[in-house]
Parts: sequence; C-alpha cells; structure tokens
Amino acid sequence: MVSSTRWLKSGILAYWALFWLLNVVDKMVGGAHFLWVGRDRFAQFQKYFASAGLDAPLVADAGLIVAAALEAFALVFCAGAWFHFMRQNEDKARNWFLIGVLTTLGTFTFFSIGDHLFGDRFELLEHTLFWFITVLSWIAFTRLEDADLALPLRKVPGGAVVLAVVLVAATTASIFSYNENFFHRRTSALEAEQVGDHLYKVSFPFLGGSTVFEESIRLFKETHPEETIDHIYTVPKPLRLKKADALIFYISTNDAP
Amino acid sequence: MKEHALIRGAILVFWTLFWGLSVVDKIVPDVQHLWVGKDFFALFVKFFASLGLKDPLFATVALAGVSGLEAINFTLYAVAALAFFRGDGPRSEVWFFRGVFTSMGLFALFSIADQVFGDRFQLLEHGLFWAILLASWVVFKFFASPSERRLELGNVRMALGIGMLLTLATSWSIRDFSASTFGQASAPVEGVEVVEGVWKFDFPFLADKLVWEQTVNAFEEAHPELEITYIYTGPSELNSKKKTHLLLYVFVEPR
Repeated sequence: MVSSTRWLKSGILAYWALFWLLNVVDKMVGGAHFLWVGRDRFAQFQKYFASAGLDAPLVADAGLIVAAALEAFALVFCAGAWFHFMRQNEDKARNWFLIGVLTTLGTFTFFSIGDHLFGDRFELLEHTLFWFITVLSWIAFTRLEDADLALPLRKVPGGAVVLAVVLVAATTASIFSYNENFFHRRTSALEAEQVGDHLYKVSFPFLGGSTVFEESIRLFKETHPEETIDHIYTVPKPLRLKKADALIFYISTNDAP
Repeated sequence: MKEHALIRGAILVFWTLFWGLSVVDKIVPDVQHLWVGKDFFALFVKFFASLGLKDPLFATVALAGVSGLEAINFTLYAVAALAFFRGDGPRSEVWFFRGVFTSMGLFALFSIADQVFGDRFQLLEHGLFWAILLASWVVFKFFASPSERRLELGNVRMALGIGMLLTLATSWSIRDFSASTFGQASAPVEGVEVVEGVWKFDFPFLADKLVWEQTVNAFEEAHPELEITYIYTGPSELNSKKKTHLLLYVFVEPR
C-alpha cells in the first residue's frame, strides 16, 4: 500500500526544486540559444532601471545578481528538502523546506517591490500569485503530515485502457496528418487577392510567420512587375471579427515608373 | 524561532510593503528619477471620460478618495507589523484583521468600478488580489498558529557553500552577458536583404527608439545608392519565434 500523502509531498518538493533550478539555469545561460530560449532578464532589468533614470548596466546587473542569489538559495533549500525527504528524514525535510519557502517568499516580495517601483501591474499580479502559491504549498506540505491517506492500487478496468488507447491513437494520427498536409503553411508564399484599385489583401494562416511574409512579398513583386509597393496596412485586431482570422494585411501599390 | 511566527512575519511584511508602496505610488506623481510607478491619474481620467464625465475634478476626487483609503489601509498593516515584531501576537492579529478587512473592501470597490467601466482584465486582477487577501488571513489565523515547532536546521554549512557557489556562477554569467550585450542598447542593427528591395532588421530585446534611429541612419550611410520609400513594422504575429523581439522591414528603391 502506497501513501498518497507521500506522493503529494514529494510532488510539492520536486516542483519547487525544479522551479528554482530552471530559474537559476536561465540566469546562467543568458540569451536565446539552440534548445534554450528562456527570458532575457538582463534586457528587462536594464529597461526597468533605465526608465527610472538609472542607465548604467551595473545597476541592472546588481539587481539581477540579488535576485539570482535569492533564487540560488531557494533552490539549495528546496532541493535539500527533497533530498532529505527521499531519504525518509522527515524532520530535516520540513526544516529545509521552511527555509526554502521563506527564501521563495522573500524573492517574490523583492520582485513585487520592483513591480510597484516600475509600475508593472501585470508582473505584480503574477508575483503575488506565486507568493500565495508558495504559502499554499507550505500549508499543504505541513497539513499532509496529519493525514495518512492510503492509495489503494486497484486493477484498472479494461474498458478504460481500450478507450485511452483509442483516444491516444486518434489524437496522434490527427496531429501527424495535420503536420503532413499543412506544415508547408509555415513557409509557403501566399497569393495576394485584389480587393480594389491598386489594393491587395493577404490573409495569413495561423502557422505563418516572417518567412511567409517575406515569401509573399517576393511572390507579389514577381507577379506584379508593373506595380510598386507604396505601403502595407496591417488590419488591427479589433477589425478581425472572425475568431479564425489570423494576420491580415493590405498592399497598396502605385504604377511602376 | 517558531515556524508559524516565520510564516506570519512573511505574510505581514509582504502586505505592509504592498500597501506602503501603493501609497508611495499615489504620492509620487508621473515618472520621476528612481520611481516610475503607474499613472493612475491618467487611468482615472480616461475611465471617467468614457462615462461622459470629462471634468478632471471627478477623477481627482475619486483618486484622492482611493489614495486616502489606501493610506488608512497601510497604517493598519504597519501597526500589525510593528506589534508582531515587538512580540505582541494578539494585537498584531487584531490589526492585521482590520487591514485585511479594509483591503478586501477596497478591492471590492475597485471591482465595482471595473464592472462599471467595463475593464474585465482589471476585474480579474482585483478579484485575484481580493481572494489572495482572504486566503492570507485564513492562513495567518487558522493554519499557521497550531504549529509550535521550532526551526532547527542543524549543520547547513554545505548548503550555504553551494548557494554561494551558485550565486557566484550566476553573477559571473550575468556580468558576462551584460558586458557582451549592453552595446545592443545603442548600436545599429544589421539588415538583411530578404527580397529584392526589401531589407529585414531583427531588433534585439534591449533595443529602443535610439536603436531605430541609429539603424536607419547607418543604413542610409551604408547604402547611398538606395532611397528608403517605406518602413513597415512587423506585427507581433510575424514574431513566431519567441526569441524575436521586433521585426522591421525597410523598402528601398535605387536613387
């Protein structure tokens, strides 16, 4: 018989250890690379401090280093708690996790101060939510000690297995089929549709990106050598009434000299 | 120190700072050196104007009222925090309850306004803050208190050592990344001719209007034979790769 509380507690510790591990890795990697995009925190901090009149990169570096130090210690204590927990050392795990929780709360409080200072209300909400999830994690972790809920391993009904296999096969087939038939939309040029005098419309598929845009412009220039592009008008989002409308732009032209 | 006191302390510090900084944001108008904040006056003016109340007096009175409530609110938290750090738990609890109750009232008031002004995102934001406040009180009062356990860490020298090493490693990485990329905040971006007569400029995250100006000037200097006829800012839909910040297309013709 496996205790469900032990699985949950292990899950809580694993979540926070991985959360901080990946945050620390993101600080160490810096910038976007092959197999790691991450977030350019340096650019974000630099823009924040520059908006407050502190342009020197040293200030952004210092702010980022303080954040990284808090994150590093949160990682060490959350990972340490997980390590002790896996070695059945419950008391040590609880003490280490408490320090991990307090460091995490300190980190989000530090970020929240920055959000107030730089007027970023969305990040303030995000950090407050994480702050609260941390408190909640601690409560769940400690309260689960009082509950010993058994997790009986019963035989899974055969019908459920068949249904799951059918659904997995159907979704996999659908995804592979879509990839086979529609991935070309990621790069293929789009035909411009004439909607008025010297006015052409190009409607993007959702997969379309900058390559589609460039290829479409190339195709347009090739197929309309008698015209030159005067300007391009991107239809703003409020005018795209259908939910299925992706990017739409109009090409306005002049007669070539 | 007792576990529950540590958690209670963290909750009090967070909310006291939250309201303290909200009050500072109302006292410091506009963008100043060392303080950016949010322009609530502009927000209130726009909200009331959308109701047909264009006289700035309405926005001023409303903002002054809200700021006054926030100041009272902050005082309640500050008293609670002071009592807590002096070791007066019951008094801290009473004042924290007063603070939480007033804050919930304030967020309820904001939510009413969000509905009137039709701002659903702010309604969600204020609703979430309201719920977190309520839950903070529940945790503070009912969940933290039963534990009389004391924090006993034992030997943590190794943990502190690893933490310091990680901090040093990240600090070196941050300084290195900063030194190698800070130039992007002012250096012009190199363009690529993607279609005949169309040049693409992939702006880095650090770039701003200064980089735009430098880029256009540098392009004109490097290509005196070309005339810029049109500049198109690629909409966000074209940035399908997450690492792309801003795409700029420059259309040119031979002079």
